[in-house]
Amino acid sequence: MRLTLLLSLSAFAATAAPVEFNRDVRPILSDKCFGCHGPDAATKKIPLRLDSETAAKADLGGRRAIVEGNPEASAVIQRITTDKKGLRMPPLASGHTLTGREVETLREWILQGAKWQKHWSFLTPERPVLPTVSNPSWTRNPIDRFVLARLDREGLKPSPQAAKETLLRRAALDLTGLPPSPADLDAFLADRAPNAFEKAVDRLLSSPRYGERMAIRWLDAARYADTNGYQFDGERVMWRWRDWVIDAFNRNQPFNQFVLEQIAGDLLPHPTLDQKIATGFNRNHRAHTEDGIIAEEYAVEYVVDRVETASAVFLGLTMGCGRCHNHKYDPITQKEFYQLYAYFNNIPEYGRAMKYGNSPPLVAAPTRDQQQQLSAIESRLAKLQASIDADRQATEKAQNVWERSLASSAPIHWSPTVLRDGRFDLDGGLPGHTGTPRIVDGRIGKAVAFDGKTALEMSGYGQYDIDHRFTISAWIRPDCTTCSLLSRMNDSPRGKGYGIHLKDGKIFVTMTSTWESDATKYETLEPVKQGEWLHLALAYDGSKMAAGHTLYVNGTPAKVNVIQDNLYRPFRNAGARFALPFRIGAGNGPEQMFRGLIDDVQFFSRVLPSGEVESLAVGASLNTIAAKPAAARTPAEERQIRRHFLEHAAPARTRELYAQLTALQQDKERLERTFPTVMVMEENKVRRPTHRLNRGQYDKPAETVEPGLPAILPPLPPGAPNNRLGLAQWLVHPSHPLTARVTMNRLWQNMFGAGIVKTTEDFGLQGEWPSHPELLDWLATEFIRLNWDMKAMVKTIVMSAAYQQESKASPDLLQRDPENRLLARGPRIRMPAEMVRDSALAAAGLLTEKLGGPSVKPYQPAGLWKELIMQDMDYVQSTGPDLYRRSLYTFWKRTVAPPMMANFDSALREACTVRENRTNTPLQALNMMNDVTFVEAARFIGQRMILEGGKDSDARLRHGFRLVTGRAPSPNEIAVLSENLRFHNDYFASKPERVKAYLAQGDSPSAPHLNPRELAAYGAVASLLLNLDEAITKE
Amino acid sequence: MNPFDQFRLNITRRHFFSRTSASIGTAALASLLSRDANAAPTGGLPGLPHFAPKAKRVIYLFQHGAPSQLDLFDYKPGLAKVRGQDLPESVRMGQRLTGMTAFQANFPTAPSIFKFAQHGNSGMWLSELLPHTAKVADDLCLMKSLHTEAINHDPAVTFFQTGFQLAGRPSIGAWISYGLGSENQDLPAFVVMVSQGLGNAQALADRQWSSGFLPTKYAGVKVRAGADPVLYLSNPEGYESAARRRFLDDLGKLNDLKLKDYQDPEIATRIAQYEMAFRMQSSVPELTDLSKEPDHIFELYGPDSRKPGSYAANCILARRLAERGVRFIQLFHRGWDQHGNLPRELPKQCMQTDQPSAALIQDLKQRGMLDDTIVVWGGEFGRTVYSQGTLTEENYGRDHHPRCFSMWAAGGGFKGGFTYGGTDEFSYNITENPMEVHDLHATMLHALGVDHLRLTYKFQGRHYRLTDIHGKLVKDLLRT
Repeated sequence: MRLTLLLSLSAFAATAAPVEFNRDVRPILSDKCFGCHGPDAATKKIPLRLDSETAAKADLGGRRAIVEGNPEASAVIQRITTDKKGLRMPPLASGHTLTGREVETLREWILQGAKWQKHWSFLTPERPVLPTVSNPSWTRNPIDRFVLARLDREGLKPSPQAAKETLLRRAALDLTGLPPSPADLDAFLADRAPNAFEKAVDRLLSSPRYGERMAIRWLDAARYADTNGYQFDGERVMWRWRDWVIDAFNRNQPFNQFVLEQIAGDLLPHPTLDQKIATGFNRNHRAHTEDGIIAEEYAVEYVVDRVETASAVFLGLTMGCGRCHNHKYDPITQKEFYQLYAYFNNIPEYGRAMKYGNSPPLVAAPTRDQQQQLSAIESRLAKLQASIDADRQATEKAQNVWERSLASSAPIHWSPTVLRDGRFDLDGGLPGHTGTPRIVDGRIGKAVAFDGKTALEMSGYGQYDIDHRFTISAWIRPDCTTCSLLSRMNDSPRGKGYGIHLKDGKIFVTMTSTWESDATKYETLEPVKQGEWLHLALAYDGSKMAAGHTLYVNGTPAKVNVIQDNLYRPFRNAGARFALPFRIGAGNGPEQMFRGLIDDVQFFSRVLPSGEVESLAVGASLNTIAAKPAAARTPAEERQIRRHFLEHAAPARTRELYAQLTALQQDKERLERTFPTVMVMEENKVRRPTHRLNRGQYDKPAETVEPGLPAILPPLPPGAPNNRLGLAQWLVHPSHPLTARVTMNRLWQNMFGAGIVKTTEDFGLQGEWPSHPELLDWLATEFIRLNWDMKAMVKTIVMSAAYQQESKASPDLLQRDPENRLLARGPRIRMPAEMVRDSALAAAGLLTEKLGGPSVKPYQPAGLWKELIMQDMDYVQSTGPDLYRRSLYTFWKRTVAPPMMANFDSALREACTVRENRTNTPLQALNMMNDVTFVEAARFIGQRMILEGGKDSDARLRHGFRLVTGRAPSPNEIAVLSENLRFHNDYFASKPERVKAYLAQGDSPSAPHLNPRELAAYGAVASLLLNLDEAITKE
Repeated sequence: MNPFDQFRLNITRRHFFSRTSASIGTAALASLLSRDANAAPTGGLPGLPHFAPKAKRVIYLFQHGAPSQLDLFDYKPGLAKVRGQDLPESVRMGQRLTGMTAFQANFPTAPSIFKFAQHGNSGMWLSELLPHTAKVADDLCLMKSLHTEAINHDPAVTFFQTGFQLAGRPSIGAWISYGLGSENQDLPAFVVMVSQGLGNAQALADRQWSSGFLPTKYAGVKVRAGADPVLYLSNPEGYESAARRRFLDDLGKLNDLKLKDYQDPEIATRIAQYEMAFRMQSSVPELTDLSKEPDHIFELYGPDSRKPGSYAANCILARRLAERGVRFIQLFHRGWDQHGNLPRELPKQCMQTDQPSAALIQDLKQRGMLDDTIVVWGGEFGRTVYSQGTLTEENYGRDHHPRCFSMWAAGGGFKGGFTYGGTDEFSYNITENPMEVHDLHATMLHALGVDHLRLTYKFQGRHYRLTDIHGKLVKDLLRT
């Protein structure tokens, strides 16, 4: 297969035409010989290497593999032509054979002098000279010079320009992923200006739909999904990264910056939130959450995935081969693989991911709307504070009066009221309990005395799980060294839940789903004093990490020793309830019940700031504080007395302002809790060492390696740091041989269906020779010259005469160039999956054009998730407009991909996919005919035919045809459609119950007052239209 | 004019075979055109099978979750004496443990509470939980020395399905349908069915039958119980088959107009695929309609077999698919992950699967099809001899164990009444004839007439194969 293609592409013929090493010879050597005689030959102890000129021509004890100009003396030729079974190359066991044509090519090449060339893609592209062509008037821009020069060589002529309506539809699909509306078409057809097409292209490029269209292929490459993959495949939240990508394309961020921010946005000076969000690119890989995995094993897989993805997306190299051994074909050693790996191996991550939600490192990533709400709240807070401050003098005077009055009033103990869930002074009126709690004198008023058999139970409080934000505070006077103070956990040793305990006198905090393997545990460095009161507060931010805990002892954060930090499942795991009460004086089993006193337990569903905790830990009544002269009070005392005053005793206006202030603080906390997060890259402060791994196995580390770049490629640019940021700067350096070429090749693939290098993912030695090498280099150098301006390059391609050709093929041309690699005609390719669905929704007028946001769940056959996954998670379909969002917003569950997308060859998002793949299967036919998505869309197209198409049935059919295909039907086509309409009219008229059933497909109701039979008939014809080959083809 | 004829006038066969594999439409057309007398009879790759096959098709009964070899196949009478004692370190030899038992303070040996007896002429040892399987012991090739690299479900299943632990490669069924094609023009070459067990179940994923980097058309097609056995198979409510026929006739006319104008062979392929879709609309319901199966067949497969979607019903369907020439038929039965409560859960799993599995062998045999059908039964790894959780008189659990486990194969050239490989007295390490997953794959391919070294596909510059860079034929398993 390969050879036929090569022949059809190259001017080479077996006669005396010059043989070019890169184009003709290296592919044979690489594919058939390098497996043994390549870069990895040494490890196999094979003396002959054919991947290096010196080695291949060296004298190996009197024999030489390649003797310039003398094929018969060359051992290579002898060995590939011998009849002796044991000597014949390639050996039978390799599975390879050489064709006669390949042998001839090698012979001819040696005869012509065996000239070597460095592999083309490792050389920086140089701006090629524009070739002279036979018909300069055909060319519109430099692209056409390269295309026509090639056609001239082949003796072919370009095709005529496509019809205007074909052209607009082609460009609209390529640039926005959606077909043009009839109004767009009319306007374009009516525009006789010579630059009418250019105007249309500019309009398409400025549409927000452009960013969505460009984003979806980037999501394929970046293996974006809404779940973690692997076994449990729980949900994650990465759509803020998707929003960032769409936005970056829409604002036409220069591509070099686009790359820089995604690889190393976090390492830029003073990174913005957007720049941090961009780094989600490297966190989109799958993450394993299965109980019982060995975390280190998967930590390695994540880093390998990053290397493989970056290699495919930016370098067009199959670096992954270097994981286990030196690359078999490309000059990349295993060590170099791990040097690249080292750049991506320095983030604070853990191999087992959170079962639900995002795994650290992550950032809160409010949407723009939320950011605006937040800043609105913040500015109102500042204004309120200013208003309160403005009255300072009067307030202070009033406060002094009030403070004096406290001398004669009952003691008051301050506590913050914002999101306080409960306060138990334990002065009497106790909640449910076991044993006999005694009320004794306490730290504040009375307290409860515990004797090792007593515990208080409160079912309505402290019902926090591992993803909640909360603070619990209490006064404690312990008379035990290993015991539990406060907890919500199973009443057994090593139980599930959270608790604050003492262990050998130290404070010991646990948050555990499985004590041994799924837990956060830490203890204070110092033991606490027995028999003395101390104030304890645990503030937790819901991050599931030890770092998200602050344990305060007497108002000061305590130094702790983290014992375990791999909590990943909530207490309510798998939908099970976790209904345990909060207990005071117990936890961790009946043996560990508390002895001592506990007083004033408080619950807050927010993270208390340190100032508030400090004030709580003062533990003196306001009356006592008021009695002190102002200068003798601590700031914590001053703060709480003022707060209480503002809340309860200040003049009415100030009190009102303060009430507004606290209400607003509450709103702010609630708003912040709705912020989505996004997983990001972050750099360890101390670099984690990277080892070469023997055979790529996590548990077989060999020598350590430093971050570094493959020797075959240029070094880091001067001044670039040797970290991810430097790597990113290197990737987008203008002299980099690959990034611009690989990117332009992918863009070309988007438009023409195949890249100039067809192996989009492989520009290495095994990659295919480019069909138009100079064109690729021109595009790459032009891209860099225009400061990586993506819209400009898109426009350049679309404005070329090559792109604008009609896509019809003559039988002769089809025979000459079945895959259209020579570009003697325009592209005609089946639309990608998302475009098939989006186009149908657009034609139906159902499409919801909303930019960005969380993923949605459109129609999907019932039970698909349930059959395969655990714990009864089922697909809860969206409703209303969310049923009709563009497909790039469809919720992507890795283990059960959206079936329509999978049917139409979408990338499956398990791993990076850059090559487009198109099949043509019966399952697609069934999908188009019977999926409710398309049946409902057909009903709405039928409705549009009736409502917008006029009275005459032919006019209505023409309208429907145009909605779907973007062109007017021919008389022959109208004839078939009229007959079909007549048939369906009769079909539905003959059994009226068919009408009701047929029209009931889909959630959206039809327009009122339509004749149902007529609507059904037009709907059925519209379904026929949606099933046309042309309807799902860009032509 | 018939679009195929037109197409053939326009382009010669040589050209569409010369197109590379990424352009699938043509490949699909090539396979459709394979009815042409000159083409390979099954639409597979030219040159395949590499040699005379023993088997034409595979029915793979995947027991998902990993059934315990110790309680079903690998009889270890000596364990009773050491019951409750810690597994000796000399046996464990530092073998890595899953995160679920790595922290366990001790590893109490848990002998099976189920009785074993010898069956058939060969005297094959089988557990009392498999009374029906015992009846076909003389047809079974019991392999007791399988081992795998993976210790967790997802990578282990992926390894069995694709020869590699990480997702992305083609599944075994995709490889085989790519290589050998289909024998039925109206059904897919690779069909998958999933049934739910009664024990602890683990998640499964569509990609376990995906085509990986092979063209999507080689992916397994899931056949489900219910109104739409294949996704989107049924016409919308109110739209009957006669209307669909007319619809397709008119669609064909319009597509043909386009074909004449544009000459794009993809259009001819699309016309043909719509016709295949239409044929599937009758062939699939005909396939899944068990109403004409006689009573004695339901009795053979057991009480569950009248329940659509059950493992037993799927076993009958598997036979029907085999009769229709479907190349690779794969059942997944979930619920074999007995970390705890094994003595209670395992009998239930066996109740669901023992009789239908044995019935399938008997049924194929009575139809003369067992000789050219490989039936494979097994999970993704084994289970530990030591108890996960507390060992009591009547209860224990078993953790994942990759070092040894048992599977069986029957028919299709595999030896009957034959036991291969052996393990130590703890069923912990292999003592005789270790067999990698790749070896099983290589041997299955061999029985199908395929040299596993030569069934390759070039992707990302590399020639991939099902057996990765491993695999050796285990000739001992096959009849000569």
